[in-house]
Amino acid sequence: MLNVSLPPKPSNLDAGQSAQPSPAKLAVRNLNFYYGKFHAIKNINVSIRPNTVTAFIGPSGCGKSTLLRVFNRIYDMYPGQRAEGEVLLDGENILDPRSFPKLRAKVGMVFQKPTPFPMSIYENIAFGIRLYEKLSRSEMDDRVRHALIGSGLWHEVEGKLNQSALRLSGGQQQRLCIARALAIKPEILLLDEPCSALDPISTAKIEELMYRSKEDCTLIIVTHNMQQAARASEFTAFMLNGELIEVSETTQIFTKPSDKRTEDYITGRFG
Amino acid sequence: MSSLDTAVRIDKRSEPTKPKAGRRTWRLTGDSLFHAAARFAAFLAVAVLFATVVAITFDSWPSIKTFGVWGFLKSSQWDPVTNAFGAFPFIIGTLVSSAIAMVLAVPISFGTALFVAEIAPSWIKRPIAGAVELLAAIPSIVYGLWGLIVFAPAFAQVEPWISDTFGAIPGVGLLFQGPPMGIGMLSAGIILAIMILPYISSVMRDVFMAVPWSLRESAYAMGCTTWEVAWHIMLPYTRTAVIGGVFLGLGRALGETMAVTFVIGNSNVLSASLLMPGATIPSVLANEFTEATSKLYLSSLIYLGLILIGVTLAVRLLAVLLLRRLASREGAST
Repeated sequence: MLNVSLPPKPSNLDAGQSAQPSPAKLAVRNLNFYYGKFHAIKNINVSIRPNTVTAFIGPSGCGKSTLLRVFNRIYDMYPGQRAEGEVLLDGENILDPRSFPKLRAKVGMVFQKPTPFPMSIYENIAFGIRLYEKLSRSEMDDRVRHALIGSGLWHEVEGKLNQSALRLSGGQQQRLCIARALAIKPEILLLDEPCSALDPISTAKIEELMYRSKEDCTLIIVTHNMQQAARASEFTAFMLNGELIEVSETTQIFTKPSDKRTEDYITGRFG
Repeated sequence: MSSLDTAVRIDKRSEPTKPKAGRRTWRLTGDSLFHAAARFAAFLAVAVLFATVVAITFDSWPSIKTFGVWGFLKSSQWDPVTNAFGAFPFIIGTLVSSAIAMVLAVPISFGTALFVAEIAPSWIKRPIAGAVELLAAIPSIVYGLWGLIVFAPAFAQVEPWISDTFGAIPGVGLLFQGPPMGIGMLSAGIILAIMILPYISSVMRDVFMAVPWSLRESAYAMGCTTWEVAWHIMLPYTRTAVIGGVFLGLGRALGETMAVTFVIGNSNVLSASLLMPGATIPSVLANEFTEATSKLYLSSLIYLGLILIGVTLAVRLLAVLLLRRLASREGAST
């Protein structure tokens, strides 16, 4: 299908580089996904560039969340779900059963509903770090503080790190979840409609956080909200019925999409 | 009467909707009847509890008068011949056998619940959950018979090993001395553990299965193992209900009569060793009620029953306090 290699983008990211496109951080090759007998993702090919935000848009049930769930193999939890094809993370196939014992340290995920763990704010961040690193108390304090500063939460929670994270507001909880995921220093962060349960101000804060985070990692966001895709992403992929219809620079998708179906969707004719 | 008044008053208020007033009145009368019935049922339950305590206190009065409260609680003598009665061995027996049961049943329940809720492939979940729940359907007399006829002889083969292995440890060894009889405090605790296991594990299983998928997924998405998800996420998340389930099991263990009576050995003498026979409040009641010839004897037994109610209420209170403390430490609203 569409094996897109994009023309170099005259953005500050590619500034200084030559005309050749940067190598893909994540490359999806002939990916098919099945829920039992249901064919949810049909032969998708796409390359995600490092240190960018890529948005996947499309109507409900088009397979965009499913695709995201393949990238960290969270579907593994459920028997009957299987993926075929290749997903190359830095050239290594993550679908290979033997590969990547630490896949989930490299690929973090944030879900639609905020999912703070039933523990203190501090522990929410420290818990994930502890899974992979053994730090002294002061090193851990540092890491937690950094994660909270990075997420812009620090001023809001500074005095109450030992309080239950469940007492934070929905927007704060979601930023905590992002901070928690980023604290492990993932190479890729997957965001599955992270703002759909949040108010506009919280949404803006999270989009800002995403913007800042792409210095250190590659972000892939699934969203229902086309304005969000337009605001927050550099590349946008449009999916429909399990197929990838079109992927290109966000500005191009929203101004002159090459496929009629994309145009129909973004102009609100369906979806 | 007052409920009828209410109905009439409400009827007056809803006068503007006159055409439908007839049906409306009937509905409201029915509703207030229902309220009255519910209130009656609720008060009845409280009244029954209250009346029971009053009646038991009344019947145990001769014993309370003779031995007092503190004297009865701390005395280890239980001698019908000399009319000397004390509750200490039975209180300890009740608490110790239940404690053994909890120590064994809680971790096993956790494992069972976790397996069914999180690990087992779906085709095996139902059979296992069903089998565990069937344990609750076995009458306690059957547990008692099984314990005496099957379990005790088999356990008597294991006991020498237990006393050889643990008996040598200084201090703790005292708990594991004595001849291998197969019956005793430890046997009673083990049988009790089997009996309360279904209660604890089914509560745990239900609440584990109710943990939101998104919460589990986000923990797995960080790379947690199943154990880490269970221990650090699911257990804290369901803590309140899990503690409730554990105390439900404890309540049953404290009051269990038949099965314990069969396997505990029924000795009125307190022994340090768990392998030695003992007695619990329910077991001594079951054993001696028909033999209680003197008035003081009978009232002392009833006094024991009163103490058992006290112990059970104290355990319940403890659970409430524990939950309240957890909630305040957590600082979680709702």
